Amino acid sequence: MKTTSAVLLLMLSFVPATAVLSAEGEAQHPLAIVVHKDSKIDNLSLEELRNIFLANQQFWPDRSRIILLVRAPKSEERDFVLNTIYQMDEAQFRQYWIAKMFRAEVPRGPKIVFSTDMTRDLVLAIPGSISFINAQEVSGDVRVLRIDGKLPDEDGYPLK
Amino acid sequence: MIGSEGKKAVVFRLEPTTWGGTATNILSPITIRTILATAVCSGLLVSYEGSAQESNAAAIAEISQPQFNFLGFGDISYITRDADDPGGFAVGQAVAQVSASLDDSLSIFGEFSLTANDSSQNAAIERMIVKYSFSDLFKLSAGRYHSPIGYWNSAFHHGAWLQTTVSRPQVYRFGSQIVPIHFAGALIEGTWAKNSLGLSYMAGFGNGRHENISQPGDAGDINGDNAWMVQLSARPAKLYGLNAGLGFYTDKISQDNEPEINEKTTSAYVVWAKESPEILLEYLYSTHDLVNDSSVSGDVNSWYAQFAYRLKGKHRNWKPYARYEYTKVDDSDPLLGDQGLNYEAGILGVRWDFNPHAALKGEYRNEEYDDSGRENNFRVQVSFVLSKL
Repeated sequence: MKTTSAVLLLMLSFVPATAVLSAEGEAQHPLAIVVHKDSKIDNLSLEELRNIFLANQQFWPDRSRIILLVRAPKSEERDFVLNTIYQMDEAQFRQYWIAKMFRAEVPRGPKIVFSTDMTRDLVLAIPGSISFINAQEVSGDVRVLRIDGKLPDEDGYPLK
Repeated sequence: MIGSEGKKAVVFRLEPTTWGGTATNILSPITIRTILATAVCSGLLVSYEGSAQESNAAAIAEISQPQFNFLGFGDISYITRDADDPGGFAVGQAVAQVSASLDDSLSIFGEFSLTANDSSQNAAIERMIVKYSFSDLFKLSAGRYHSPIGYWNSAFHHGAWLQTTVSRPQVYRFGSQIVPIHFAGALIEGTWAKNSLGLSYMAGFGNGRHENISQPGDAGDINGDNAWMVQLSARPAKLYGLNAGLGFYTDKISQDNEPEINEKTTSAYVVWAKESPEILLEYLYSTHDLVNDSSVSGDVNSWYAQFAYRLKGKHRNWKPYARYEYTKVDDSDPLLGDQGLNYEAGILGVRWDFNPHAALKGEYRNEEYDDSGRENNFRVQVSFVLSKL
């Protein structure tokens, strides 16, 4: 009985935070395109962004290699990017990159990341990297790019 | 728009604010057990965060090291015909590809195949490329390539899983005498990444065909006259999915006890790469004339049109397709006129992607070789790719 009570108490102690999650977990936020904080890039057009994500553009203007970080399957961020930027489903995305590697156009596919924290850590550590995270989870140690001249919280931002 | 993952993370990290104001002065047995249970959970979660940080550190370290990637392709077919040629099972090529980026600019690519013959397996180095990328606009490479002629030869080649159909168009078949499928040499290539037309170029020179014209001159150019090639292509940003290209290839061909022949090949293609629909149109025109007597000449005209459509919704793993292909070689062609290479075929089939990395295709084909009468055949193929993606 006492053990049960302890477990219940432990569970109850989560309630406030869980309630916040229920309320805010359903909230929707735009997607932020993030690069290393020392990047000279401030703005990309949606076409330029698509070219980078398709690896048609593989170098930044300073000739450093672009390192594309993409979330693993079954994340909302990845689904959003596949729908809006790639305009592909999972199968087409897979085939696209396999074909790209097959033609020796790229030596490897995108680097897969498994969480927002991992995305932030790698963008922070790798100067040429570019990736995407929920705009609400952006921290000050990465740079958020304008897309078509707009930041995620501005009207007309294309990745909403 | 996407949901917030960060708020979920707050729950699992047990950040101090979650616990603020819950302390009590009376440590009852229940409270003690609660604190102990919480401590155990916290320990586990701290451990989880520690391992996550180690994982991130490993990923960062991995990026800074040479990166290796492996791809494998294979296929097995069953063919039944109404002509005299034997049918039955056929093991296609088994292909292994290894690529590596040794630093930001230097990459290595190797492709190796095993091909079943009547009574043996042939091993071959299909491609071996060392590439140095100065920028998107200028990449320099050397090695053995798929000749950048047309679309199919570079886009699909040994990757049966990549192509919608069971087999490639006849003009690009393995050992084709019409198209030099491989060449050894050097290429410069690049893309105007900022250009709205998505323009790319590729230009190169290398060893021309071997005396056996279905083979490249891997050990050197047999007559000292290099083959030259150039290809321009466009992928306009406004028409995402469209790919169009134009190419030119020239070589002087030398065969034992035969007069030398000039070869010029022009190729053009338009491709709509999205799958609903998928459209491939390709045209190839070659001329061959004697070096010492240009009045002895002949042409090759070859084209194909392929249409496919991936179904939507719960049937999206199915992709019906059709192709018509045609090749006509002038009888007067001094290189190919007597080789019996005229060909016409109509193809109907369906592809079923029953697994993310494997496909089953069924294909009916009505074809005619060199005006010898039409024949029917039916092919079933399972093809696969080995990839971490």
